[in-house]
Amino acid sequence: MPGTQEVFSALKHVQIPRLGKDVVAAAAVRGLVISGGAVSFDLVLPLPPDVPEAEVRGLQAACEAAVRSLKGVSSVHVRSSVQPAAQAAGRRVMPGVRHVVAVASGKGGVGKSTTAANLAVALARLGQRVGLLDADIYGPSMPTMMGAHGRPEPAGEKSIKPLVAHGIRLMSIGFLVDADTPMVWRGPMVHGALTQFLEQVDWGELDVVVVDMPPGTGDAQLTLTQKAPLSGAVIVTTPQLVSLVDARKGLKMFEQVKVPVLGIVENMSYFVCGSCQTEHDIFRRGGGRRTATELGVPFLGEVPLQAGVAESGDEGMPIVLRAPDSPAARAFVAVAEQVLARLQAAGESRGSSLSMAWQA
Amino acid sequence: MRVEAGVHPERLGQDGPGVLTVAWSNGHHGRHRVRALRLACRCAQCVDEWSGERTLDPDRVPPEVRPLRIEPVGLYGIQIEWSDGHGTGIFTWETLGELCACAECVKPGEEPA
Repeated sequence: MPGTQEVFSALKHVQIPRLGKDVVAAAAVRGLVISGGAVSFDLVLPLPPDVPEAEVRGLQAACEAAVRSLKGVSSVHVRSSVQPAAQAAGRRVMPGVRHVVAVASGKGGVGKSTTAANLAVALARLGQRVGLLDADIYGPSMPTMMGAHGRPEPAGEKSIKPLVAHGIRLMSIGFLVDADTPMVWRGPMVHGALTQFLEQVDWGELDVVVVDMPPGTGDAQLTLTQKAPLSGAVIVTTPQLVSLVDARKGLKMFEQVKVPVLGIVENMSYFVCGSCQTEHDIFRRGGGRRTATELGVPFLGEVPLQAGVAESGDEGMPIVLRAPDSPAARAFVAVAEQVLARLQAAGESRGSSLSMAWQA
Repeated sequence: MRVEAGVHPERLGQDGPGVLTVAWSNGHHGRHRVRALRLACRCAQCVDEWSGERTLDPDRVPPEVRPLRIEPVGLYGIQIEWSDGHGTGIFTWETLGELCACAECVKPGEEPA
């Protein structure tokens, strides 16, 4: 029975003329299996897709002959295919974007999307050029919250342009599918759709892109933390204990993938009465602040439960724009100020500076 | 090298056909023989997810295996596409630090990369 080393030595004599190197140097030999006298491997040729069939067959035959000539080889099985050489560098995700901020929550229903929309609008009011990516693929709500409907236009061959609403560039899976179609997707489909989304939206030059993450800590969240050059994450929670437990989970997830947590926002923190303007603590106000202290992350602020916030969302005009002097709007702007300060202190996102092509 | 919180690679490089160099943010100059990295892959195809047992047979990895390209994974690791067709493994900063084979880090009795 021949050894791996011998098989590779034999294959080194098979030259790929148009590359000027042998099949081993060209890394074309893959998945070598030696079982008794039977040798099999894949021949993946880094050649252009239009290479003549005869050339591929010729190389395969040469490989088979080279291995068959070894002592102890009874049969050779080669599966050949053509795969263009890997490009020099990967496609950079969001090339003109300085900061990407994820707005996340451990569970649904805490006002994550409302916070994301208002944070985006507040950042724009602070003079930033802002984008908003609705990555909640299962229940996209940004088209409604931002009052933007329509189909994104193509930009060049492989990109699409975000829509613009309230001065913010906006992209949502909701623009690409019918509003009533549920997203029934398995993990790999989610991964593919989000990756495509991240790579193919032409954001242009922006200071901040706010990403409305899907709730929880599953496939979609993992894909986003792997593919998007996140500068930091904002965790939204409500004062109830159950929500805080989930907020901790979200925090731990970002910790594991080394995304800095910019801070925690406590939404529906207290209720401002519409007639007497008194603040009522309906739930246990202050839980978000305690969690933040406990886990050593900044507390970004308390956003009150206030009549008008939800309606603003339904009308497509976030509260920061519709009632800028309301307590909720002021709270969101205060959160945005802190987020901005932390982003500026952290410097540029160091997303994809570690891309390299190996030189043979 | 033990990778402390906040420490991350700043630059990857190549020293000849078989050595990956890693310039760390703490000033460490990491070195790895690429085949050793391939054999240390901790992905679900190379290590049994339940038992932690290594299922990758080193004899099936070509002696001259080398990366084709390396891409960052978020802010916590790199993924290497290998010449043997493998490409599912993620090397986190912690793992890369543990596997470092520079003269300073190399295990006793082993050759530094």
